[in-house]
Amino acid sequence: MADLTLIIAGLFLPLFPLSMVFNTLFSRITNNKQRNILLLLWPQIGLLLIYFADTEIPDWLAIWGLLTALLYGFRLLAIREMKLWISFLATSTWAILWVTLHYSGDNSPIYIYALSFSVPLILLLLLSDELEQRFGAAYTGIYGGLALTQPRLSGVLVMVVLAVAATPLFPAFFTMLATVMQATASSLIVAISTGIVWLLWSWAGALLLQGTIVGPANETNIADLNTSSTRKYVAALISLIIIGLVLIGGLP
Amino acid sequence: MERLIILLPLIPLLSALANHLWSHKLGRQVARVSVNSSILTFGIAVLLLVLMLKYDLSGQVSLGGNWGILLLDPLSILMVVLISGISMIVRIYSVRYMMEEEGYGRFFVLLDLMAATLFFMVTSGDLITLLISWHLVGVLLYFLLGHDTSSPSAFRYAFWTLLTYRIGDIAMIAAAGLLYDAYGTWSLSEIFKQLAAAPDAHQYFGVALPELVGIFIAIAAFARSAQFLLHTWLPYTMGGPTPVSALMHAGIVNAGGFLINRFSPVFIHTGDVLHWLFIVGLITAVLGSVLMLTQNDIKKALGYSTMGQMGFMIMECGVGAFSLAIFHLIAHGLFKGTLFLSAGSVINEARKSDGVPKEDLYTFVVEKRLVKQRQPWLLMAAITLIVPIVILVLAHWLVAQDIFQKQGAIVLLFFGWVTGAQLIFVTYRMRTQNLWRLMGLIVFSFAVIVLGYSVISHAFDLFLYPDPAFRSQIYAAADIDLFWFDVLVALVTVTIVAGWMARYYAEKNQNKASKKLNSLWLSCYTMISREFYLNDIYAWFNRFIINMATRLNVLLRWR
Repeated sequence: MADLTLIIAGLFLPLFPLSMVFNTLFSRITNNKQRNILLLLWPQIGLLLIYFADTEIPDWLAIWGLLTALLYGFRLLAIREMKLWISFLATSTWAILWVTLHYSGDNSPIYIYALSFSVPLILLLLLSDELEQRFGAAYTGIYGGLALTQPRLSGVLVMVVLAVAATPLFPAFFTMLATVMQATASSLIVAISTGIVWLLWSWAGALLLQGTIVGPANETNIADLNTSSTRKYVAALISLIIIGLVLIGGLP
Repeated sequence: MERLIILLPLIPLLSALANHLWSHKLGRQVARVSVNSSILTFGIAVLLLVLMLKYDLSGQVSLGGNWGILLLDPLSILMVVLISGISMIVRIYSVRYMMEEEGYGRFFVLLDLMAATLFFMVTSGDLITLLISWHLVGVLLYFLLGHDTSSPSAFRYAFWTLLTYRIGDIAMIAAAGLLYDAYGTWSLSEIFKQLAAAPDAHQYFGVALPELVGIFIAIAAFARSAQFLLHTWLPYTMGGPTPVSALMHAGIVNAGGFLINRFSPVFIHTGDVLHWLFIVGLITAVLGSVLMLTQNDIKKALGYSTMGQMGFMIMECGVGAFSLAIFHLIAHGLFKGTLFLSAGSVINEARKSDGVPKEDLYTFVVEKRLVKQRQPWLLMAAITLIVPIVILVLAHWLVAQDIFQKQGAIVLLFFGWVTGAQLIFVTYRMRTQNLWRLMGLIVFSFAVIVLGYSVISHAFDLFLYPDPAFRSQIYAAADIDLFWFDVLVALVTVTIVAGWMARYYAEKNQNKASKKLNSLWLSCYTMISREFYLNDIYAWFNRFIINMATRLNVLLRWR
């Protein structure tokens, strides 16, 4: 029964091919509020199921989670549509939580770890809407040069991409740090593979930025992000850093 | 008084914040805020150095919690003086250099953030602070190198840098994970204390902990200091602004040498890792120098020169001369920073006139017009071989009599001897009115350099590692079996002397022998001028990865 519950949890902390359910659902939903809720709650449901299963995460599930994270991290490199990018990154980040659960046990603040991945993804989703409103589509490599024409939007986009790619001092960094460090003592291969997943996120993040903010200025007559929205994003990012530092910065 | 160290990262952080928040009001004045903050931090760093020399301020300051510890010791003080000095010069230089660039304010904000991060990195007294700052340096460098957002190529090479640094980050985290698991603390001083008490207490995967941690730290250092196979980002990041190149080549790239010194208490309990450091450093030093000689772009040549110097620095660590590596990185930082900052003027001048005087030195070095031998060859060969070794031995004997019991010192002496002998060997056939005067001046210069190098490096040794037992332990860790050491020294000596002899006979037989080797030489030159095709291979690999990811996505219907 416990194993079955864990497999069902594999829908929510996506394990390939069950991960396709989440990705299909995410692409089918057109309402952004529903997408935000999905990003926020989907992994939490998985974690609750694991809690009710009340069993240790077996080795094979941790490896399955790691392979899923690697698969989606790798596939992320070729994604140019931003919503799909968010969906794949969410899959990769949540799948890595299986590794975290396996090596850190009950002591880790796993629900906060999941939020540390979800919340920056929600911010990125909101930003992709901003891009869609301005350019008709949120694609990398089409318009580019936003740093020159939309400095505020670009600045916020850079910071949010850094947050989703688990860069210090954002909370996802501490989550990944704890995961890699705790795995190191038990399995170097798992630790290094988790590190490679992390590297793939950075790689994909850099490609996303290069496809949006870099390049000569185009579309100079489109309005930049207004001051009030910028402040909200900055406040959200600062809150993320503070919450991350306070709740998980100390690490176990 | 040690709380002053908090100001070092704090001041540039405040400067960055002020510049960001009030950039609209400040306009071009952001530079003034940044420069003033850099002068202030440099002053504090120098003050701390003076206090450290006078009163030994060693200690640590905690910013609260179980991490955020700043370490005040000779190594961190030396590094903050170097970083604050170089970043101050870079910022002063940038005031006018970047004046007409877009994102003037952003540039100074990034420079301030980079300075603060570097201060955190070199003073970090715990693993988390070290990991955070180590990681952030790569991220900030990415944005500094890609400062010109309209240039995709600048970002492409900045991206290479980021990716290489991330490889090093993974190794660092693995090392930190092992140390934390073994000792249950983030504090570096606590970890080193426990390690010294029982170095063999922990084993992971059948390997002793220090050996495994040493391997990971070495990989992190290789990525940061552009060692062979992880070096391609270095010469190609010239698309970034010149002040950033100066900061990178004079400061950031040296982090590998710093890291190995910081973890010296781990490395003294390793053996093979130090030998690998020596081998990788040696390969990098040789290939970096060879690649530098084939470049016709001054900035790229400087890039490869840095690679060669970094190789030498890592090699010094490999033979146990840890403090010498710190001296080397400081000396290299100062001269390379100067070269980068003056590269623009040199290029500008060269456009008007090549400025090369058609004199004896030019005809000798560039046109390779050698005069006929005027002195007996045997006499000159004897001088070539004996004079440098006498100078080197005397200089080292002056600073430390027991130095010849250390294999590392002998290896470095050997390098010094080869360099000195090579210098004399190639110059005695230069066109000059008074050969003995020229030789005398060369020997005198060589003696001054060797003596200066020996005295200063010995002073660094005493300052960084005051405990003589610890100093001996470092050299001992780098030692290899005496028999094999002697065999290696003899083999290398024979190879070098044979090379000289071959060169001599080739010239004597009017280059008949060398003509036979022409095609081989041309193939080698092609390989070197194409930088061993490594960049092509990496670019192809990058495309392959993206293509594979695309195919996989199509296969899985983008779900």
